Order: sequence, then structure tokens, then C-alpha cells
Amino acid sequence: MDELEFRRRVYANPDTTDAEVVKAAQQDPGKRAFWNEQKKLDRDLKQAAKVEIPDDLAHKLIWQQSAYEFARHKRRSRWYMALAASLAFTIGLSFTLFTRQPLNLGNEVLAHMVYAEDEQAHSAVPVDLRQVNAKLASFGASFTDMIGDVEVVNYCHLQSVRSLHLILNTQQGKMSVFVVPNRDDISLPDNFADDRYHGQGVHMQRASIMVVGHKNANLLPMLDNVKQRIQFST
Amino acid sequence: MFKRKKTVDTQVLPYMKSKQRRYEALVHAFHADIYRYAYWLIKDKAVAEDIVQETFLRAWRSLDSLKDNQAAKAWLITILRRENARRFERKQFDTVDIEDVSVFDETMSAEQEVQQRELRRLLASLSEEYREPLILQLVFGLSGEEIAAQLNLNKNTVMTRLFRARNQLRESLEKDDALRGRHNG
Repeated sequence: MDELEFRRRVYANPDTTDAEVVKAAQQDPGKRAFWNEQKKLDRDLKQAAKVEIPDDLAHKLIWQQSAYEFARHKRRSRWYMALAASLAFTIGLSFTLFTRQPLNLGNEVLAHMVYAEDEQAHSAVPVDLRQVNAKLASFGASFTDMIGDVEVVNYCHLQSVRSLHLILNTQQGKMSVFVVPNRDDISLPDNFADDRYHGQGVHMQRASIMVVGHKNANLLPMLDNVKQRIQFST
Repeated sequence: MFKRKKTVDTQVLPYMKSKQRRYEALVHAFHADIYRYAYWLIKDKAVAEDIVQETFLRAWRSLDSLKDNQAAKAWLITILRRENARRFERKQFDTVDIEDVSVFDETMSAEQEVQQRELRRLLASLSEEYREPLILQLVFGLSGEEIAAQLNLNKNTVMTRLFRARNQLRESLEKDDALRGRHNG
């Protein structure tokens, strides 16, 4: 191997284990000396290349990663929180708006009927006109005459509207009469029904009357009956 | 929704922990060499540190793409070179001259220190095309093939550059010696 090629290979990599380089060095003390000199220079260069590392660089690198991850996580949860908050707001708002609609008591009455079915008379003694009128008085109303066989008379709350509920035994089975005060924020349908009951309502001077009976019951006689006998104090 | 999140979390947590451990191992194993490489590439301590931080942050974000731990060194070098190139797209920084940087090693004699300072000055004075392959060889101990793959050059070009880099260093050192000899004599 000529001098130039030898130098070229040693310069390219002083740590070479190239067999030809090794052989050439063994044969020629001059080449050997050059190579050793290069190895020493290389060691010095490696040492010189080892510049000082900034203090705590490794910890900084680990710290910046956790900080990055934390910020990313926070951003993400902030996004979730914003979504949850706006959902809650929307739900709250629509609920408020929804409930500000006039209350439709038809469904309320029907739901109430299911419980009323189980209701027992408070005493074995039939309810008399005096008892009914005592309760009707708070609506500014009274019956001139008894409207039938009243089994139960009681106040009930239809969506927070205090009403009077009478349960009567009739030839067509049990019927309910509701007396509901007139209010701006409630609306009473003229007719309403579900799969067990149906009801009819009539608006009167100071209150509304609703009669509810079993699906096939004819409600008109009872409705007329109530309309004729109810009086409102002026 | 919350229930689902909870089951995801129980899967995510051990995964995040093992990823975290892997990242920390990577930092400890390579931060010094990566910093030195950045330093010799950029010749500015502060900028080098910034680039190293960006390099490791990017490494964290794409740690899942590093399948083979043996390839970690080459992978980091690639990320760093890309980050450095991006720096030039953004803006050219003023770099501090290498001679302003003094590095003290208390175990070194004054003579060694002078020599080391001189070698650093000479290393820094090499043009980048010679300096970069030489630093990859000196700092990471990469072979000619590995340097060629990293720098996207063929192996012979790399060998030639390494040869010229050392040749230049040697000539400069001889010139120094001659100068010193004249002063002394």
C-alpha cells in the first residue's frame, strides 16, 4: 500500500481495523509512527469535542416534557369542561324555558288518577255537603246541593297547583271531579285521555272543573250536574 | 361517557408510565452526545440547548414511532438535524464565536488546556461539510456507512471529507508548531 492510500485510510478513520492498513504499518515503522500520531490526535480531538454539558440538561429535558404533557392535558380537560358547562347551561336554559310554558294539567290529572284509584275513604261515614263546601270555600265556590255519592274529598297538587279532588261512586263506576283555580300560567284542555281514562273540562267564572272517568264512561251528565250545582261567591 | 373515560384511563395510565420511563432513559443515555453534536453544528451554547430541547420534545411526541431501541441514536440525530434546518428556515441566528467559550477542566494541566482550546478552535474553524461528519465520528463513534446514511451522502464522499478534515487539522497544527518554534527560537 502506498503512502498516500495509507494516510487516506488512517485519516478517514484512525481507529480502523482494516487488515491492509495493519499490515502496512507492521512493515513500515514510518507508517506506524504516523498512525500512532494520528491515534493520539484523535484521542485529543475526542476529548476536545466533549464540551461541557449545561447544568441539569437531562432534568430540564424531562421537566419540559412533563410540562408539555401537563399543558396538553389541561388544554384537553379545559375543552371538556367548556363542553360540559355549555351543555349544562343549554339544558338549564331549555328546562327553564320549557317549564315557563303554561302548565298543561291534563296529563297531570291522568297521572293523578292512577294514585287516586288506590285512595281509601278517610272514614266509613259518607262525605256530606258541609264537608265538601268547607273545602270548596277556599276556591270561593260552593255546591247548592250534593252532586252524588262522594266518597273522598281532598286537596291535591297538580304540578304545584292546589286543587280539590272529589271521588264519586256513580252508575258508570268511579268518577273524579277536579276543581282547579284559574291561573294565567296553567291551561286546561277541554278533552284529554290515556289508555285507561278520559276527561273533559269546562272553564267557569273563578275556577275550572274537570271530570275524569273510565275510558267508556259518559262524562257529560256529571259535568252538567256539577255546572248546575256549583256557585261562586262574588 | 364518564364510565368510558374511566376504562380508557386504566389502559392509558400504564402506557403513559412506560412511555415516560422510556423517554427518561433516552434522555439520560443521549442528551450529552446530542448536545455536543448540536453545539459543534451550531457553535452557540444557548442555541444548541434550545435545539436540543426541541429535539427531545419532538422525540417525546413521536416516541411511538421509534420501534427499535438500537436505532435511537440515529433517530435522534435525524430529528436534531431537521430541527436545526428548520431554524434556518425561520431565521439566521448570530452565533457566538467559538473562542468566546471557555471550558475549564480542573484535572487538566495548563499545557493540555492550551492544546484543547487550540483543538476546539481548529474544529470550529473547519467548514461545516468537513466538521459535521468528523463530529459524528468523534462524538457518536459512527462508522463511514452510518455517517453517509445520516448525511445522505455516499460512503466515499464521507471518507474523503473525513480525510480532508483531519488533513486540515494536522496542517494547521503543524503551522502552529512552526509559529511557536519560531517564537521560541
